Amino acid sequence: MSAVTRFLAVSDFLRSYLTVGIFAGVAIALVAGILGLGSLIRPTRPQASKYVNYESGVDPVGVGWSQAEIRYYIFALLFVLFDVEAVFIFPWATRLEAYGTFGAVEMGIFIGILALGLLYAWRKGVLRWL
Amino acid sequence: MSFPATASAVLAVGDAVPFRSPALDWHALAPEAVLVATAVVVLLVDLFTAERNKWLASTLSGLGLLGALVPVITLAVDGNTRSLFGGAYVVDDFALVMKALFLVAGYVTILLSTDYIGEGDYWEGEYYLLVVSSVLGMTLMASARDLITIFVALELLSIPAYLLAGWRKRELTGNEAGMKYYLMGVFASAVMLYGMSLVYGGTGTTVLAGIGRQVAGSFGATPVAALGIVFVLVGFGFKVSAVPFHNWAPDTYEGAPTPITAFLSVASKAAGFVAILQLIFVAFYGRDEVYGPMMWVLAALTMTVGNLIALRQTNVVRLFAYSSVAQAGFILAPLAVAGDSPAVADDAIRAVVSYLLIYTAMNLGAFAVILAVSRKTRSGELDSWGGLFEYAPGLTVLMTAFLFALAGIPPLGGWFAKFQVFKAVLGAGGASAYILAVVVAVNSVIALYYYANLARLMWFQSVPDGDRSPVRVPAAINLALALCVAFTVATGFFPGLVGHFGDAATDLVAVALRR
Repeated sequence: MSAVTRFLAVSDFLRSYLTVGIFAGVAIALVAGILGLGSLIRPTRPQASKYVNYESGVDPVGVGWSQAEIRYYIFALLFVLFDVEAVFIFPWATRLEAYGTFGAVEMGIFIGILALGLLYAWRKGVLRWL
Repeated sequence: MSFPATASAVLAVGDAVPFRSPALDWHALAPEAVLVATAVVVLLVDLFTAERNKWLASTLSGLGLLGALVPVITLAVDGNTRSLFGGAYVVDDFALVMKALFLVAGYVTILLSTDYIGEGDYWEGEYYLLVVSSVLGMTLMASARDLITIFVALELLSIPAYLLAGWRKRELTGNEAGMKYYLMGVFASAVMLYGMSLVYGGTGTTVLAGIGRQVAGSFGATPVAALGIVFVLVGFGFKVSAVPFHNWAPDTYEGAPTPITAFLSVASKAAGFVAILQLIFVAFYGRDEVYGPMMWVLAALTMTVGNLIALRQTNVVRLFAYSSVAQAGFILAPLAVAGDSPAVADDAIRAVVSYLLIYTAMNLGAFAVILAVSRKTRSGELDSWGGLFEYAPGLTVLMTAFLFALAGIPPLGGWFAKFQVFKAVLGAGGASAYILAVVVAVNSVIALYYYANLARLMWFQSVPDGDRSPVRVPAAINLALALCVAFTVATGFFPGLVGHFGDAATDLVAVALRR
């Protein structure tokens, strides 16, 4: 590579990174600009009741750091299991005939592996509520 | 039929495109199929065995990983490059070399885990299931030549790793390890996906070879291409813990179970490098003025910062965390010059692949010794290593070998790795390449200081608590040590051994330059 092409390559590189720099600058300016504009033009009338935790319009009971039952999370996870299953099964089901045996076998493997997750949850006693 | 054509045909409403099932090359998919079967069997065994038979999970997953190595070897003997799913999944020599690396590293991890997990208050079945899943993601990554496949492979290897990092869930450091690794990991994934969306938006294809053609053409000159390349590579910068994206590594390495630390610092890092190699050499090769300087800065920073912080560490696992950050810098260095010429590209890929192979053996070996010693001392502090030679001469000799190999002292394996890096960097020529070579050389010297310091403690200090009872090393760790030391020493005396794998792996770059 001659010195000239090397110099051109370097300035090319600077141009590429200028793009990245401009991009980052615009991203920061956009967020700062919108938030800044909001804080400039909005009225500020602080009242104690505005700083109370929101609880669907009624007066909140207890503190924000209350504990929730862990089992809800486990059921949420199991829900994700079936949700993912549904996301893939629906498009497959709309073209069931077209995919033929190949599609049936593939979906069988997919459901089989997901069912293992359910089997795991069952064997670990997660499905019992109490 | 090319991929974009298929996609647009599917999008066209009401068009009944006859579906043709893709031709499945079962031989090419056999390693992954064996791993999936292993994962299923391990899960079932864990669910239906009594507590005293949980050791089966460890044995079966070890056998499964070795079993997956068989089709890798038959594919290598066969020698054909196999391309599946419209070029999204390619089994070439590069992929096979890396798959073998991941499977062997996974097997050694399981050897290291067997006693650690068996004796602790841990969940054995789930642990091995997750290790096998993570290795499955890595073997997929070695073949992934498509943005979506790369992403799926990355998540498949990362998500089990997040869980494994936080495995000691009753300890705060364990929670910190898992949480930090997870948050930084998903943040990196988000940045990377954003870059991928830009690349896909500009090229209209997710297949790396197709992207490569357009990046070399008019799309490559657009600012969007530069943005996309930078964001995608930054995402993998987190995975390989390159400075300035390394800040999760020390806390995660310290808090994770030690076998998982070894696994993360070797296999997970290698998987990140595999993705970077594929992206650079297949997709982004035409824009070396974007990724070249970026890799230069990352390599120089990673080496220097990693080594300088390593100098001040008093905990042996943190020392190795920073050492592995620094080692990543050495591996990144050849990529800075890879775009110079096809010959340099060949050298760069040789250097990276040989470095990864040798680094895997020596780093896993060092962690095996750390595990064996901490079984007795129950401490990670450097001081507890004083006088190791007096009660564990065998382990001391092995650790010294691994330390000097990591420092790159001949005749141990590490010198060949460093030599290949120098060869690739100096082969490129030019001021920036020479400066980088000087940075590499200076850092090799800094690294020698803290490696030699640990060796000094073991050989010349006295035992801190006066307890000279011998260290009992379990058979599994002995086997792991034997494998690692054999490879580390053999590659030092016969560099052709690993050089052969490096040569084989250059077929990745051949793909990039064939267009």
